[in-house]
Amino acid sequence: MTAPLLQFQNVSLSYPALDRPILHHIDYTVDPGDFVIILGANGSGKSSLLKIIDGRYQPTQGHLKLNAKNINTFSAKVRANTIHTLTQHAKDSLFLNLTLFENYQLMQKNVKTPFKPAELSKYLSGFNQNLSTKLAILAGQLSGGEQQALALALAVLEPPAVLLLDEHTSALDPKTGQYLMALTAQVIQERNITAILTTHNVEHALRYGSRILALKEGGIYDKIEEEEKKTLTAVALLERCY
Amino acid sequence: MISLLIATLTQALTLVPLALGINLSYTILRATDMTIDGSFVLGAAVFARLVTLGVPPLIAFLIALLSGAIAGAFTALLQRGGKVDPLLAGILMAFILYSINMIVMGRPNINLLSTPTLFSGAFLKSNLLGWSSIALTILLFVMGFYGLLRSRLGLQLRALGDNAELLSRRGAPAGLLRVLGFALNNLLAAASGAITAQVIGYADIYMGVGMTLIGIGAIVLGQHILLPFLKSHYLRTHSELVAAFSGIVLYFFILNSLLRININPIYLKLCLGVLLALFLGMAVQKRRTA
Repeated sequence: MTAPLLQFQNVSLSYPALDRPILHHIDYTVDPGDFVIILGANGSGKSSLLKIIDGRYQPTQGHLKLNAKNINTFSAKVRANTIHTLTQHAKDSLFLNLTLFENYQLMQKNVKTPFKPAELSKYLSGFNQNLSTKLAILAGQLSGGEQQALALALAVLEPPAVLLLDEHTSALDPKTGQYLMALTAQVIQERNITAILTTHNVEHALRYGSRILALKEGGIYDKIEEEEKKTLTAVALLERCY
Repeated sequence: MISLLIATLTQALTLVPLALGINLSYTILRATDMTIDGSFVLGAAVFARLVTLGVPPLIAFLIALLSGAIAGAFTALLQRGGKVDPLLAGILMAFILYSINMIVMGRPNINLLSTPTLFSGAFLKSNLLGWSSIALTILLFVMGFYGLLRSRLGLQLRALGDNAELLSRRGAPAGLLRVLGFALNNLLAAASGAITAQVIGYADIYMGVGMTLIGIGAIVLGQHILLPFLKSHYLRTHSELVAAFSGIVLYFFILNSLLRININPIYLKLCLGVLLALFLGMAVQKRRTA
């Protein structure tokens, strides 16, 4: 049996100004290779949970462990290289006023043999054909779909230990969103990346991922493991998770 | 016409490092750093005081650069990791620098006409040699600045100006980069101040008034005119340098032209101010559209 990659131990997050905690008493483990889908209504704590993992929020109670060590013992740099986050906002993943190539240069610090422009074009064309000819274009001038494809391509340039996907397709049109979600799942599977995805899309939750975690009002409402997940219908999932 | 061009070029030349510094703060770090009004004077004041005390001009010049860098570093520290507006921190630092400059000089101005400076030997031989040695010094600054912008550090400074939060999350030392960026920007302003003091023959407590505005205006002017022709982002560093240089030249060309048509000096700053306001307005509109 493999050791857990992430361990939430009685994790809570609260602000004095709020009448209820944002997260309370979260106990959950994520194993290497897991693709966890987090479902829950707005304000259920999905994004806050991811922000605790990538260090934007600190739990007010409990511990989060990465590879059995308290995550706070890792330096910001190590944590940044280990955990990559994509959100629906391109500015959370890309420098919009820098070119695609400059974004790559800033991201490629761990790659020992950096890509030449032609090699980067070829790599990016695997994510979105349009990107291959736009290396000198500012990231902010790309379409939303191209930006998210670029963000994904750069996030898995050197596969992270954990990839956090915070509704990263929700701002895209349905067709582009479907394409990007399928691409994301394919990349995760091919590179064997441990990933956690938050979504409101029940269809995505059923089609992708290995496990489901449902949150409600900051607490764990339900846990669905892989075998059980395969037997669920959309209606059953909705009833269980919302 | 030739005398107009010579006057323009000689006045613009000494302010090229300042324009590069403002390019760093305004275009790359995306901050309006008013410290420059004070660090320009600080460079001149430190240089003038030290050479009049008998310190060799090169050592005095290097210390003047260092003093500008320290002032810039303090401005960055006053921002407390991006929580305080750079504009406010810069105004505060310029306010403090007024006293510091007065303390450094010990009086409101120091005459350098009879004191050996970095360029006085060359000017004694001929004006051409004097201006050539200044041009060579400026060229060294331009080359150093170009090297910086083409380096990974330059790219990180650009990233800091674009999205400091993302840069921090990527594990880069954003705080240190901010200090470094503002230090460099003010080092360049101090260099301009120290060179200007040697050219005009004195350091004066009020010689920095409006320098930030002149620099930003010149950069905006240069970028507005040149960038449509240099849109390739592969050439961005080159175009920024050309825009900074041509902007400062254009500013002094307009200034000298206004003087040549015998405009009443009372209206000079009004005319230049209106012109800069127009270009700044266009730049703001451009940024909003972007």
